[in-house]
Amino acid sequence: MLTCKEFDAFMVDYLDGGLPVWQKFMCWMHVKMCRECAYFVQQYRRAVALGQDAFDTPDDAVPDSVPEELVKAALAHRKAR
Amino acid sequence: MTLAPSIADESDLSDESRTRQPKNRNDTESSLINSLREGDDRAYESLVRIYGPQVLSVARRYLRSEADAADCFQETFLAIFQGIEKFEQRSSLRHWIRGVTINHCLMRIRKSQRLRENSIDHMLPVFDERGSRVEIAGPRDITAIGDSLDKQQRRNLVREHINKLPQDFRVVLLLRDIDGYTTWEAATILGISTSALKTRLHRARSALKFRLEPIMEQTNFHADL
Repeated sequence: MLTCKEFDAFMVDYLDGGLPVWQKFMCWMHVKMCRECAYFVQQYRRAVALGQDAFDTPDDAVPDSVPEELVKAALAHRKAR
Repeated sequence: MTLAPSIADESDLSDESRTRQPKNRNDTESSLINSLREGDDRAYESLVRIYGPQVLSVARRYLRSEADAADCFQETFLAIFQGIEKFEQRSSLRHWIRGVTINHCLMRIRKSQRLRENSIDHMLPVFDERGSRVEIAGPRDITAIGDSLDKQQRRNLVREHINKLPQDFRVVLLLRDIDGYTTWEAATILGISTSALKTRLHRARSALKFRLEPIMEQTNFHADL
């Protein structure tokens, strides 16, 4: 069985589904057998989901408009060149 | 102006990212591009008004200050004005502009005088001599978390925690987990190997997990995700 440290090195690929079948199985087995890693994976996934959710809110969405001075400055900048 | 290894270069886009784009280009987009190439002033203004909000939103996400985001906005549109001739329309204009914006954000981050940033080593997984995971319990900022954190407060808090990560880790997290670039695309944008990208991403996610644990310990925090 993989050690926790060995499993940790595979974690990004494991969660992305990017591992060959055998390594994927070894990781899956490790998570089934190791309570600490199972908890770590659960919290790790939740942290990623929270991060994604934090940037998927209406007030972070594309603003309706850009301050007029920024628009004018960008156009003036072009003419200056 | 030279762009860094770049998603602005359409050839760098993977098939996966191309599938994110509509198959048929909008006539309005082609017409706008043609007008821009002819040097039509009104077309330039339309471009800034149509795509400006997107550029500003991306710049605000990558850069920590509003002033930097505003400067990046100017630099990005100047690069777009200068680069429109070379835009081959193999991706949508929106996607290309997003790539140019991110490139300019990253150039600004690289150019900025690197402040001494806090280490995240104490937030990373720890293992004993046999390779077994050791539970780490560091000081955690629980003062900002009340008993009842509403959805918006929680989102603001998570964003604050992401913004507190050192730049290298924050950028990787934004590229991969927020903007949805593949490992290969994100590695290309940053000019690092895919294995280095994965290592950095794992550290960034682990540090974020450490920082967010007080929030995650709240009951039902994920019920409305």
